[in-house]
Amino acid sequence: MKQSRTSRTISYIIVMLMLALYVFPLFYLFNVSMKTQTEYLLNPVALTEGIRLENFAEAWTKGSFSQYMWNSVLYTGMSTLLTLILSIFAAFPLARRYVKFSTLIYIFFLISMYLPNPLIPQFSLINQLGLYNTQTGYILLKTTGTGIAFLMFVGYIKSVSRELDEAAAMDGCGYTRYLFTILVPLMKPILATGIILTAIGVWNDIIGPTIYLSDPNYQPVTKGLFTFYGQYMNNWPLLACGILIVTLPLVVLYVALQRFIVGGAMAGAVKS
Amino acid sequence: MYPFGKGKARLIPYLYLSIPLLLYVVFGFGPSLVTVLFSFTDATGVRGQEWSFVGFENYKTFFGASNAGDRLDAIGRSLYFAFAVVIIQNAVGLFMAILINKKLRGDKLYRAVFFLPVVLGVTVSGLIWQLVANPLGGPAQSILNFFGTSSNFFGDYNIAFELIIFVQIWMYMGYSMTIFLAGLQTIPNDLYEAGYMDGASGWKAFTNITFPMIAPSFTVNMLLSIIGALQTFDIIYVLTGGKFNTTTLAFDVYATAFGTGTADYGLASAVAMIQFLFVFTISMVALFYLRKREVEV
Repeated sequence: MKQSRTSRTISYIIVMLMLALYVFPLFYLFNVSMKTQTEYLLNPVALTEGIRLENFAEAWTKGSFSQYMWNSVLYTGMSTLLTLILSIFAAFPLARRYVKFSTLIYIFFLISMYLPNPLIPQFSLINQLGLYNTQTGYILLKTTGTGIAFLMFVGYIKSVSRELDEAAAMDGCGYTRYLFTILVPLMKPILATGIILTAIGVWNDIIGPTIYLSDPNYQPVTKGLFTFYGQYMNNWPLLACGILIVTLPLVVLYVALQRFIVGGAMAGAVKS
Repeated sequence: MYPFGKGKARLIPYLYLSIPLLLYVVFGFGPSLVTVLFSFTDATGVRGQEWSFVGFENYKTFFGASNAGDRLDAIGRSLYFAFAVVIIQNAVGLFMAILINKKLRGDKLYRAVFFLPVVLGVTVSGLIWQLVANPLGGPAQSILNFFGTSSNFFGDYNIAFELIIFVQIWMYMGYSMTIFLAGLQTIPNDLYEAGYMDGASGWKAFTNITFPMIAPSFTVNMLLSIIGALQTFDIIYVLTGGKFNTTTLAFDVYATAFGTGTADYGLASAVAMIQFLFVFTISMVALFYLRKREVEV
């Protein structure tokens, strides 16, 4: 079906306006990060007079970002890895109905979306277990086998032929070996998606660290950035550098793995 | 049939499944149930302090205390937040999905950019908008100057909450759009060609072909955004910290339990229960109607 020229032109105009709404704040952020404080105070909106990469070095040191970055990498890496393993452990038998009450257990996992907010008893529990303000405790809290990765895996495993299980078992392959040497390689695309969506969730959490990690040495980069914001509220060039520092790793990851994210948001949404 | 052997081998799936199950029961499901219990007690965050059952006292406090106005406002604000976010985010998301689905040049780039805020996360997105809305000469202020007026933006009692809603929609519009795009791409082109023959084009094609065909992604988007919007409060934490009339139920739960100087777990749990009743009722009603719509198609 042909579309009229005008309708296409109007479409482009609308998309461009919308794009400006998304790109402009980022561009402005970058512009501010390149200014000196005086330059910013005199005219915040004007284009920067020069490239000042030294601003980033200053923000990096003043905001102790090396410590925060390391914590974020640790929390995100560990809990994403564990979440993925547990999600496979849960998704495979439920998708195949290899355990009794599979459907019931699946629904039991699903209803977590609707349940009353567990935040308060959860906090008491972590306290009781002596896990408050510990890295292990925080990783444990962020590890779940019932989140978005689990949901996507169930959908995906259903599309993997059941006969494969039977053929492998006939050849003497055990359950564990099947999971890790046959199923996992088959799940590569959905694993990539699961990794990214889980990692985005852990990396960006701000409430979790606020509640569970009061020791600045254990805080991740989101909390570090927020503290930095509190300290340098009036020095926007420095803050802008801080924001960009925090933004950069995720943007790089996003650009590299973008096709998996978009595909995954769809798979996760439409198949569940 | 389980192919991986008999006897002991039959138990391995149970063994592996029990780990995530246990984790969920201990850290998710269990605490959720305890919230119900807590809401009827005077438990506090002070370690070792005795607590006892107080019946509906916390609920009475919520609805009848001297500051009831603020608290009841939080209910209204939660509903307002959810309503605005669900309607606008999905309307804009669907509209943009339809435009991008026209195979405009650079469609992959648009998708990536609109999804970007989800990747950046709430802290970064929030601070970026704080910078843009900086009342001391930021670009938003420059525009207002042009019209001869000014604003404190996130520090303004009249518009802070609307601005939060705007940032929330800005953050997640791309997510809704992506789900709609997935739905749109399942519609075969012949359907539109056949419709065109029958005189269905433009708005008619949208209501008779597009809209019914994307029913599943519509349901998913509506449910996700209803549940999400009623439970969101990190954006409020980052942008105003609940000040300037921006407290919602979800934020109130957090503030009552963990805010500075307060650690009223009983009351906070009661607020959590009230929030739960809203989330549950509204999403169930929505689910009922949305599923009915899907079936009719």
